Amino acid sequence: MSTESDDGLLRSVVPPAWVDQLFARCQTHGWTLILISAVVGALPPVFGLREGYVMTVLSEMFLFAILALSWDIVGGQTGYPSFGNMAFFGIGAYTTAILVKDAAIAFPIAILGAAIAVLIFAAINGLIVLRLRGHYFAIATLGILLAVQQVTRNLAIAGGASGKILFDVPPGVVFYYFFLVVLVVEIAVIYYLTQTRFGFILNAIRDDEGKATAMGFNTTYYKTAAWMLAALFTGLAGSAYGLFNTFIDPQTAYNGAWNVELIAMALMGGTGTVAGPVIGAFGLHTVIEYVETAFVGWQLVLLGAAVIVTVIGFPKGVVGTIREYANEMDYYERGGMAAADSEEPEVTTDE
Amino acid sequence: MSKSTDSDRSPATTDPVLRTEGITKRFGGLTAVDSVDVEVHDGEIVGLIGPNGAGKSTLFNCITGTLTADEGRVRLQGDDVTDWPEHKIARAGLGRMFQETRIFGGMSVRKNLLLAAQEGGADIGGLLRRPDDSLVGRTNELLSYVDLDGLADTQAGRLSFGQQKLIEFVMELMAEPDLLLMDEPAGGINPSMLENLIEYIRTANDEEEATIFLIEHNMDFVMEIADRIYVLAHGERIGEGTPEEIQNDQRVIDAYLGRE
Repeated sequence: MSTESDDGLLRSVVPPAWVDQLFARCQTHGWTLILISAVVGALPPVFGLREGYVMTVLSEMFLFAILALSWDIVGGQTGYPSFGNMAFFGIGAYTTAILVKDAAIAFPIAILGAAIAVLIFAAINGLIVLRLRGHYFAIATLGILLAVQQVTRNLAIAGGASGKILFDVPPGVVFYYFFLVVLVVEIAVIYYLTQTRFGFILNAIRDDEGKATAMGFNTTYYKTAAWMLAALFTGLAGSAYGLFNTFIDPQTAYNGAWNVELIAMALMGGTGTVAGPVIGAFGLHTVIEYVETAFVGWQLVLLGAAVIVTVIGFPKGVVGTIREYANEMDYYERGGMAAADSEEPEVTTDE
Repeated sequence: MSKSTDSDRSPATTDPVLRTEGITKRFGGLTAVDSVDVEVHDGEIVGLIGPNGAGKSTLFNCITGTLTADEGRVRLQGDDVTDWPEHKIARAGLGRMFQETRIFGGMSVRKNLLLAAQEGGADIGGLLRRPDDSLVGRTNELLSYVDLDGLADTQAGRLSFGQQKLIEFVMELMAEPDLLLMDEPAGGINPSMLENLIEYIRTANDEEEATIFLIEHNMDFVMEIADRIYVLAHGERIGEGTPEEIQNDQRVIDAYLGRE
């Protein structure tokens, strides 16, 4: 924790009260912000950006934002850190690829099929692994990812280890809009849910699951619902990714390094917030793209370093750290600590 | 109950809010709770006292469904809830405050309270609605009642221990359970806040007709507030009666209270 003299300058230049007000405004105008972001996101192709490197990178940023935000529903909001989210991604990608290529089903219907497949998969394994907590849960989800990857590798219809090449895919701009729409819908859904009883219950499970049970909540039910929601959006992203990339194999569809990457994005942006994972995804993906071109081969080293710095320096991420800065002042101004008695008995003056 | 022979209460409402029948819980060779019967009637404040390791918290855990009793039955408003899962028993009207004080530290104080309110229910519609104004109004009312109205939007985990204890209590006022189990409400809070807490519990009992069953080591507190008291020692019930009767019960004095 920094002392007063450390951040005195910061406090005078950017008073916490301003930051607090800014947060309050963002919260009251959340829907407007989401709408503006959606419109801004939809503009580049309208102004001629329909193909090429920049549009691919932007599409990937949307994609990673979907993945990080999905991870955060369970990992951040509910407090169950999963290392297996890419299993949903892979199942979405493969189901779509098989339906499009082998069953000649149209892309939009194939995506619907993929969504159903992923939801069923998540419901079944969620009821099992969500009984575990902490490390055990993390390891179990990693196990699922590796198991599904291995099964796919040995599945003839999935193309085995050599994967599937997909021809006649829609143009890139279709995927740009697909990822944008899924992202905006996901942001809207999560933003709304955080204001409902369902969202409160997820946070309660994160903070003290035993107490939540003692208050009458069947936590397995809510955790599974959150898990399925995360699976749905991750699966949707995956289902489009195969076509976007024109190729999938078990290594890319169930990419463990991506799983770490999307966790890092959520952590850096701020877990348990709506904006955090999106900001983290945009920021980290931009940096990774830059490093990949400027310092080829160093991106994983950078990713590792960035995770360490974040966890040590800003465990609450960008949004969490700023919010804390704003709230701390707020708390003292309202006399929270002064009124906060508590362990010490009051000294009486009558002798 | 015997005094109300000519009352117009229906048989269902004359069931005690809580009745345990021969509750026994063993951990390996140790019998933590040994065939204990207790009854708590509507509107009562009942104390549960006894030395450390007497089985008080274990008895509470058997009532709430956190532990399943090896023998005996637990009845809540006449329903046998012995084998119900914990969340279902809570939903049936049992509230609980923990010894170590448990609230949701990462959420705002207001969200803690909104979550505790039972009106939202567990149906899909209730889950996906935003809390309505009347519920938010109720949180404001209760927070100002315990003088914490400035802290509605503060993260609950930032509050002091005493404040957290009050919040946990106010959460139960939001929930309005048929029966509230309190595990050492007076533990770890300062004398002036203790006085407030006594006042709040009394008011809840008088005005909201809250029925309370509480474990307590602070004898002044429990003697002052309880209508009746049960005494446990080594898992067995060794006494029951009004505070006065308990203070003069030779077995209780020998086992727990000691002499002045």
